[in-house]
Amino acid sequence: MNSMNLSSRTIVIIAVIGVLLIAGGFIFAQAIPLIFPPEASAEAKQVDDLFRILLIIGGAIFLLVQGLLAFSVWRFRAKPGDTSEGMVLHGNTTLEIVWTAIPAVIVFVLTILSYQVFVSIESPKEGEVQIQATAARFNWAFTYAAPISIYPETVDVNTLPPSVQEDLKDDGSLTIISPELHTFVGQPVEMVMQPRDVIHALWIPAFRIKQDLIPGRVTTVRFTPTLANTPEQPTYPIRCAELCGAGHGIMTSVVVVHPDEAAFNAWIIPLMDAVIHPPTDPVIVGHNLLASNIYPCFTCHTLNIDAVQPWVGNIGPALNGVADRAAGPRSTATGLSAADYLYQSIHEPTSYLVPGYGPLMPPNLVQTTPNDCNLQAIVAYLCTQSETGQPQCTIDLDKYAQQCGAPAAAAESTAEATLSAESTVEATVAAESTVEATSEATSVPAEATVAPTDEATAEATPGS
Amino acid sequence: MASISVPLGGTGTAEVPRPKLRVSDFLRWSVDHKVIGVQYMVTAFFFFIVGGTLAMVMRTELLTPNLDIVTTGSQYNTLFSMHGLIMIFLWIIPMFAGFGNYLVPLQLGAKDMAFPWLNALAFWLIPPAGLLLLASMLVGAPEAGWTMYPPLSTLYSGDGQTLAALALHILGISSILGGINFIVTIKNMRPEGMGWWQMPLFCWAILATSIIVVMATPFLAGALTLLILDRVAGTAFFNPTAGGDPLLWQNVFWFYSHPAVYIMVLPGMGILSEVLSIHSRKSVFGYKMIAMSSMAIALIGFTVWAHHMFTSIQPQLRIPFMVTSMIIAVPTGIKIFSWLGTLWGGKLRLNGALLFGIGFLSMFVIGGITGVMLAAIPFDIHVHDTYFVVSHFHFVLFGGSVFAIYAGIYHWFPKITGRMLNLRLSRIHFVLTYLGFFFTFFPMHIAGMLGMPRRVAVYAPEFQSINRLISLSAFVLGISTFVLVYNVIISLRSGTVAGANPWRALTLEWATTSPPPATNFIGDPVPFPDPYGYGTPEAAAYLDAIDKEFGAPEVPVDKPAAPIVSEAPAGTD
Repeated sequence: MNSMNLSSRTIVIIAVIGVLLIAGGFIFAQAIPLIFPPEASAEAKQVDDLFRILLIIGGAIFLLVQGLLAFSVWRFRAKPGDTSEGMVLHGNTTLEIVWTAIPAVIVFVLTILSYQVFVSIESPKEGEVQIQATAARFNWAFTYAAPISIYPETVDVNTLPPSVQEDLKDDGSLTIISPELHTFVGQPVEMVMQPRDVIHALWIPAFRIKQDLIPGRVTTVRFTPTLANTPEQPTYPIRCAELCGAGHGIMTSVVVVHPDEAAFNAWIIPLMDAVIHPPTDPVIVGHNLLASNIYPCFTCHTLNIDAVQPWVGNIGPALNGVADRAAGPRSTATGLSAADYLYQSIHEPTSYLVPGYGPLMPPNLVQTTPNDCNLQAIVAYLCTQSETGQPQCTIDLDKYAQQCGAPAAAAESTAEATLSAESTVEATVAAESTVEATSEATSVPAEATVAPTDEATAEATPGS
Repeated sequence: MASISVPLGGTGTAEVPRPKLRVSDFLRWSVDHKVIGVQYMVTAFFFFIVGGTLAMVMRTELLTPNLDIVTTGSQYNTLFSMHGLIMIFLWIIPMFAGFGNYLVPLQLGAKDMAFPWLNALAFWLIPPAGLLLLASMLVGAPEAGWTMYPPLSTLYSGDGQTLAALALHILGISSILGGINFIVTIKNMRPEGMGWWQMPLFCWAILATSIIVVMATPFLAGALTLLILDRVAGTAFFNPTAGGDPLLWQNVFWFYSHPAVYIMVLPGMGILSEVLSIHSRKSVFGYKMIAMSSMAIALIGFTVWAHHMFTSIQPQLRIPFMVTSMIIAVPTGIKIFSWLGTLWGGKLRLNGALLFGIGFLSMFVIGGITGVMLAAIPFDIHVHDTYFVVSHFHFVLFGGSVFAIYAGIYHWFPKITGRMLNLRLSRIHFVLTYLGFFFTFFPMHIAGMLGMPRRVAVYAPEFQSINRLISLSAFVLGISTFVLVYNVIISLRSGTVAGANPWRALTLEWATTSPPPATNFIGDPVPFPDPYGYGTPEAAAYLDAIDKEFGAPEVPVDKPAAPIVSEAPAGTD
């Protein structure tokens, strides 16, 4: 070691060790499929190829250092009773130059390789589509522009709600919002992202991409899916990777990669359908309103509902089976019909308190001006929350149809009806309103009385 | 080689009374750097136990994918926020300040630090700041992580966030005062015969660290001031809805906090150079390269901060920071290979100090390799803010810094207390810590790459088995700490008396009694020209002179009398 007059034997030993180290690095690299998620995008392939090189080199250095340490401990440990000193050796300039130069070359090469991969990942792709991502504590919303041309039926644009007409005007596409990210194999995507409150980070491990969503900025990230989901792996996870508060760990969603464009269209057409033909059944409308978490009910109540954010609150009474209680003891105690009791409990929560609960719920969480369509629909849905699943009460359906009926179904609808239909459409289109309303309602817990107004939700209406 | 071979130029055999240590001396204001050093170390160790307890609670929570022992995500966020803040600002940084305080004047043959009163002030800022930080848990806990990213930390966290920021402010002042003191002491108080290139490498490391402290910590103070103003005075430095920018915080915060990583590692590297050389009975390999690489790391360390922001800053700005982050691996590599060269051909005394020194090398190199991986932007994007990163920085800060602290404790405990630590217990401590550490943190790489983000109490069920393994190993790691505590307690009571120079070391702190008298030395000590010149006849003569001066250790150094564990294996403890 302290002599640089290398004998041929030394050279052979060094060469053999070098080959063994590199071979060891290759063995480490065999573990990549075990320690990485599925490789489901073009970017994932590039990142994995880069990581393979990093792991081979890193693994070789790991083996070199651990090997030298183990050898030194075995070879140079002082035997018991040996009080002699080690060899006199202060350094070796050649050796020091070598172990400065080799790492310098290695990091130079790695920098070049990483740069190439990074530029490739970041650069715009041919045929790219944009999907908007919006994050709010603690859920995701993805906004698609769905061309009306893919809709299988011919649509008379003039029969659509005004907001939908407005949406179609600029690019002939409907704005579709989903809490899940859907895409298909080979479709390059540019995600355009903004948060509603704090910093979040969109992470799709299967795509090896991650990008922070920063308040006050628009950030982008690109990917091209290459591996369709299968029945065995129906989705890939999406996770929030930047600490955003109490619900950071549950701020998840999923990606569904469809095998082709036809399958993607088969997914998005029903969502378009819901915009073009909004549901008129108040039970469905009410369910969609609650499931979208547009109102902050879930922060205090528990209910088995397929919402983006689970309803597991324990501050207010649980709502499972609430229809039975409304029709039974509550109706007796208040003298109201079950439907009227439910209506009053939301509109003026403190006028009757369920035994054991305080006057904590703010009034007017669901706005009733200019009409109370949303509240009526919610009551209609809650009426179905019984032990048996049978509705225990019902709202005045005629009144609802008259005030809140969908304009597409009733061409002669009044201006008032059109207005109310807007909010219905907005709620039907999956979780779009979640973004708006929960960002207000959950991000400022101290001001939970701030109710999402119809004006506020109207902002979330497609295209407005 | 050396014309002067007697450590205490001609004072002859001195009658040095062995000072008695009294607990009460350490509970009051003192300007003696040795007392202050011990005060730092004991205080820091207390907070190590506190921060470790928080980690144990977290690992218990993470045994299952759901919430168990904490009831809300906020409580869990508080746990890791406080764990990070305590471990960084109340354990590693003050612990190394303690080592520096105790050792720098002794290694320089000086009687005290340059500014003794300032030194005491710097220490006494820490206990109130520590209590303030702990109190923050009671008033709306900080739950934005130790990185405190706004707007989460400004608009969404409880009042505890303000208290925590104030506590960090005070700790920052303490750091800066300490740093100035070290720089002046090292610059001005070296003895005759000790040029820059004869200075012990620990002093080099403390010098490099102090330069970073003095240059970087004011940026933390600036960032914290803006944060506190945003929280209490209605300003909007970080609030985008009023024209502020959350990335401003990230830039300023990491401009301090990345160099702070080197604040937390360089002193450990200094300890390592001492320990590896002395206990392998061989000169440090490439002294100048080790010293200069410390300075190189300190300077390049100021240019890499934005690699913590590879998923937030504009893509084109990421590239220069990848280049600098790659470059800083080179001086780090030089150090690792120089230490391997130090061990090569030595006579390794496998006592607690050297075992932890080797453990440092073995674990720190993993942190170095993953550090290069993380510098590669495309890979970093995938594992940023995941358990891979958690693993990486624990390999650097636990596998590096804490292993170095342990090595330092085993190495200097005889000097500080006058008694040896038990050899067998130190080996048990090492084995438990090494295995517990490795199996706690290595699997975290895999969890992160597979898709587990950091800072979550609720995780996908597929990660449960790996988290079980991590948690169980973490409990072993936690328990291992108490082997050291037990060893310290029994050795203080009945450990073998150490004598002045039980390791036969050449640096000046060993050329005086253990513990040293109030003025450190009788007369002015003369340094050996080469602080690591082991194996030469001159060095042997110098060491013999120390033994003659202060009396050889009562027990031959290679046959430790172990009063508690009777059949301790023969070694060199």
